[in-house]
Amino acid sequence: MIHLTTPISEEDIAKLQVGDVVSISGDIFCGRDAVLPKVCKLIEEKRLSEKGINLQGSVMFHTAVSPAGIGPTSSNKVEIEGSFEALSKAGLKIHLGKGAISQNTINAISKLNAVYAIIPPVTALLGSKTSDIEIAAYPELGMEALHKVHVSEYQAIIAAAQGRSIYDK
Amino acid sequence: MTNNINMNEVIEKVAATLVTAGSTFREDQKEAYRRVIASEKMESSCWVMQQVLENAEVAEKSRGPLCDDTGIPHVFIEVGPNRALTGALMQSIKAGIREGLRRLPGRPMAVMGDDYARIDQSRGLDPDSGALLPSPFLVKEVDEDILRVTILMLGGGPAIRGITQRVFHRHDVSIVIDEIVKRAVEGVKNLGCSPCTLAVGIGRSQFEATSLMMEAMAKGNYDVQSEFEQEITQKVNEANVGPLGLGGKTSVLATFAKIGPQRASGVRIVALRPCCCFEPRRASVEID
Repeated sequence: MIHLTTPISEEDIAKLQVGDVVSISGDIFCGRDAVLPKVCKLIEEKRLSEKGINLQGSVMFHTAVSPAGIGPTSSNKVEIEGSFEALSKAGLKIHLGKGAISQNTINAISKLNAVYAIIPPVTALLGSKTSDIEIAAYPELGMEALHKVHVSEYQAIIAAAQGRSIYDK
Repeated sequence: MTNNINMNEVIEKVAATLVTAGSTFREDQKEAYRRVIASEKMESSCWVMQQVLENAEVAEKSRGPLCDDTGIPHVFIEVGPNRALTGALMQSIKAGIREGLRRLPGRPMAVMGDDYARIDQSRGLDPDSGALLPSPFLVKEVDEDILRVTILMLGGGPAIRGITQRVFHRHDVSIVIDEIVKRAVEGVKNLGCSPCTLAVGIGRSQFEATSLMMEAMAKGNYDVQSEFEQEITQKVNEANVGPLGLGGKTSVLATFAKIGPQRASGVRIVALRPCCCFEPRRASVEID
């Protein structure tokens, strides 16, 4: 088990290999289909800091945040997978979700020293490891707003790193 | 008899049953996981299934959701020869579902607005978990002298990957099985949240096949598998999709199939749902 705490350093990410099981702690972001294109637009317009968002060394968990808890949605949805490169350029280090992603996306994030990790949809377990939930941007999107949460030892498996994927068979 | 039924008691029982359905693995379900964890050789796949089982233990203790997609409530009702299902009782069951959704809590995902707004979701979601309406009830008469309500919580991922479509059987069962396996492998691969339980209904129309599939989900047992069910499970597992698509021999824990009366023709209508790693999320209660 490799322990990572946000903000995650470039060196720690560079060491990760496909198949590594990691334990993630610290503040992370949560966002999915509705909000990620908006965050990408902020990055493109260089307005991310206006919202007080710093993605350097951080993690984006592809989930809604509702009273029912949190759990990964499929990361290969167009709006979500389409955010990987822009978020990585802004310093994000781990895209956290589920499902296979394309080789093009894997190549793009690898060049930016970012990785993709998958996490089982274990809402009850994650609930016991999540605290300090707050909305970071776009509150009008409700449970699909960009959230910031504090997590303690989220276990995930590295599914894509350094141009390789765990789904290669 | 329904005249003596205490409706407040029905609401309370149904609410508690919904919470159980959304939060609790049945013993045969836990045992199915223990069996595959013991036999799976791929380390990462084993890790996923251990996490799923650990998650179920935490959810059961807290009576909280197994998954953040808490699902759409579906209701299967069995009515014995001397029991009656009245409109008032159905209203109480609905009230129990509303209460159960608030207690679980269910994800607030009732889509608001008129026909158009409900399709394009332009008026947003109702913040009240209890506003989520159940699907139409499925009712079946049974020999047992009971009135049993089973609540199933059906998530969105399996709904996206499920398929109800014809198969031309050419008077050969293996053709039907092979087509089910082909569709199931595709569904399991795309679902992500595996290992799955396959729910299958085979009937004369889309409605009948889907009703049979619902019954299979409501009544299926991991410890009791027919030859037909075992063959499908085994063939899908040969595809090596594995938990979360990571590979290994456990893509599917079991198959729950219900084969109804069939049409005198060359076609069979097959309903298939690749239930996710927590499904079928279900619990039953008898109404006295």
